[in-house]
Amino acid sequence: MIPSKRPRVGSVLLKALTYAILFFLFFPIAVTIFVSFNSSGFLLPPEGFTLEWYEKAWGMAEFRRGILVSFLLGAASALVANALAFPVALALVRYNFRGKAALNLFVMSPLLVPTTIVGLALYIFLVRIGLGGRFITLHIGHVMTVIPFAVRILTASLSIFDRSLEEAARNAGAGMLRTFVYITMPILRTGIVASMMICFIISWNDFAISIFLASSNWTPLPIQIYSHIQFQYDAVSAAVVSSVIFLSLVTIIVIDKVAGLRTVMSQKPGR
Amino acid sequence: MSTHGAVDTQGGGGNGADAPQARKRTFIAALITAPCVLVLLIFMILPLLWIVRISFYETVQGTTMNPAWVLDQYTRFLGDLWYLRNVVWLSIAVAVISTAATVVLAYPIAIHVSRATGVRRQILQTLILSPLLIGLISLVFGWIVILRSGGLLNSLTMWLGFVDAPVRYLYAMPAVYILLVYLGIPFVVMTLLDNFERIESTLLEAAANAGASDWRIFRSVILPLTLPGLNAGVLVLFALNFSAFAIPLMVGSANTNLIGLVVYKQAMQLGNLPFAAAISIIMVAVSATLLIIYSRLMQRWFLWRLGI
Repeated sequence: MIPSKRPRVGSVLLKALTYAILFFLFFPIAVTIFVSFNSSGFLLPPEGFTLEWYEKAWGMAEFRRGILVSFLLGAASALVANALAFPVALALVRYNFRGKAALNLFVMSPLLVPTTIVGLALYIFLVRIGLGGRFITLHIGHVMTVIPFAVRILTASLSIFDRSLEEAARNAGAGMLRTFVYITMPILRTGIVASMMICFIISWNDFAISIFLASSNWTPLPIQIYSHIQFQYDAVSAAVVSSVIFLSLVTIIVIDKVAGLRTVMSQKPGR
Repeated sequence: MSTHGAVDTQGGGGNGADAPQARKRTFIAALITAPCVLVLLIFMILPLLWIVRISFYETVQGTTMNPAWVLDQYTRFLGDLWYLRNVVWLSIAVAVISTAATVVLAYPIAIHVSRATGVRRQILQTLILSPLLIGLISLVFGWIVILRSGGLLNSLTMWLGFVDAPVRYLYAMPAVYILLVYLGIPFVVMTLLDNFERIESTLLEAAANAGASDWRIFRSVILPLTLPGLNAGVLVLFALNFSAFAIPLMVGSANTNLIGLVVYKQAMQLGNLPFAAAISIIMVAVSATLLIIYSRLMQRWFLWRLGI
């Protein structure tokens, strides 16, 4: 879009700088994956390809438990958040009503407050009402974190929806429910799938909220990894981290194919 | 009033029919959004209000909370020069420097991406945005491999003879800066791309045809046109960096007490919830004040540029 006509010193420099920064962005990820497959682990020179670290990592009880907790948490949070967000998106796209802008701002509110404060507030509140230290503690936190993303993606996919298809069904004599089940939902499927996946992966990777809400029985994988690498820094942890990265990468590629990563990620999760 | 709603397919609405219809729409919207709104009210707004309330509690014997309406927690933090210097001022400095560095590094990437077309552009965009979804712990892990004392960076600089002994990057300030910048770049690039797409390409062609150098085009066309939009992104990034706690927790040390980390430590490690609550409110107040000052300054600067 910004034209470059003839190669100039400036452009060459720009290109070099850009690739240096891109390298800076991907080097840490590449290093981790490299170590996880290297039979001498962190030691250089590399000695050969191995799956030993993965075998060890997936055999460790703490990581297996972490994977289970994170998986359940991601799936449950994606389901609940989308169930809550879908009607909101529907109302935002299809109805004009008083307080629409306020509603929009309100459902985005978990993103507007610093993660530290959301984590602290939920921790204090949930312990206080007797919901501390359980699966639901984390679940509530994660649902709050992903609701804004679900609303945004569902809103985007609803607003490109062709309403005349529904009208045609209605005119052909289908009832409201029938139209919804046979016309609306199938067309919206990709949007809903993309939203579910984004919610899952944000929950799966979440660190900032989880560290406030995790308990010794319910420790999601990122927190498990964090406490592991505080004491032990080995190629096994590189293998766990790489597994997490692979799952994220697959999801990213699918989301990009289905919905376009840029439309989906106009807000970022906390740090 | 624009009529877009599902109920308007018949069209015949004059003003008389509009009012009950509008009421009906508001009713339906309220009905279907109620579950989400209710959940957010209970698990988002209520906890946040509760934080405000708790910040006025007393703390007795270290950690026991005592319901009260006192300003103890606030005066303890604001009355202590150590906190002001080593926490508040440090957080401001770190947030300003890391945000500025992020913007400087994000511009070349955004310009490069905006020049690419088709599949290449798609791939570049996906590559740049993917760190946002890869997860903090994975990215931090990679940086630990690079930065730790026996890590890649130290091995390389020692092998090249730049330094004699390993330099401490990890569990110190350099690692905090690196990770804040690293995580900010995708976000700023995205903001910039949105803005670049709004620049008329004819302006750039005109500048190029008039013989302007790349640097000149950047300074006189791209920068002034993208700066207003960039500001929104910068504000968000500054607020994120200012309140960051996970990064200083994972790669920082006792000397990298950013204000968000102090909130976390007071609550989760020392168990002083009222103090943590008060600090988090001070954090929001400071951040909001700085953002307002920044917007005012930018406004002044624009007016000055325009010669008003």
